[in-house]
Amino acid sequence: MDIEFSGEKISLKNKVLSKLDLFVIDFVNILEKYTDYVVVSGYVSILFGRSRGTEDIDILIKKIDMETFIKLNRELIGKQYWFLNADNPGELYDMLQDGLAVRIAVMETVIPNIELKFVKSDLDKISLKEHMVVKTGKDGINISPLELQIPFKLYLGSDKDIEDAVYLYDIFLKYLDKVKLKEYMSILKVKGAGYGIDV
Amino acid sequence: MESMFDKKQNLEERLKFVRFYSQWVKSVPNEVWSRQQADFIDSLFENARNFSLDAKKYLKTIKR
Repeated sequence: MDIEFSGEKISLKNKVLSKLDLFVIDFVNILEKYTDYVVVSGYVSILFGRSRGTEDIDILIKKIDMETFIKLNRELIGKQYWFLNADNPGELYDMLQDGLAVRIAVMETVIPNIELKFVKSDLDKISLKEHMVVKTGKDGINISPLELQIPFKLYLGSDKDIEDAVYLYDIFLKYLDKVKLKEYMSILKVKGAGYGIDV
Repeated sequence: MESMFDKKQNLEERLKFVRFYSQWVKSVPNEVWSRQQADFIDSLFENARNFSLDAKKYLKTIKR
């Protein structure tokens, strides 16, 4: 794996993009015109090569007002996306305001879909503020800091999440800020030693 | 009663594979691992077109 780190940027040159990557890139290229975003959870490990599929891509966004959401909604629908939860943008916006996720897929499909939420917790806000940018050619995808992503996957705790955490830790072992990793593990009250994540 | 399926052992075996696979990914150029991954994911993507649940049923399922 050829990885280049430069500040908050990670360059993955010559990555062959999958249809899932292209789906995410197309979506975030629209989304970023309206608000700040960060991709969290499973897709992060898939972006770096984990050999599994996913039915949804979790994206957190900075809160936007109703008017901006309606513009985003219009552009997405114009570009052949649809919202699975409801047709009415007001209803969708209320869901986001209530801390719920709205799901968006390519027209006439259900999976894969984007699970979009407003940031809520302090850790959500840290993910958004301290995001990293993964460059695959000319395109960039904002992802949660790896030092937070790994403990978060351990916190979620399913077998799949633990495997994602171990994969990311193994891939980025020499690049991780161990102090930050330890700090986030402490905040989330998770231990990784049993899985080889020893900080 | 002895469990028919050892969840702990299963996870350990899966983690063993994850570690083996991550070492392989690190050892080859991006074109190599990402080509294999793209072939695998693209086949899942194509298969998703045959997904039998409509949005309403799907949302109901994931709420459980």
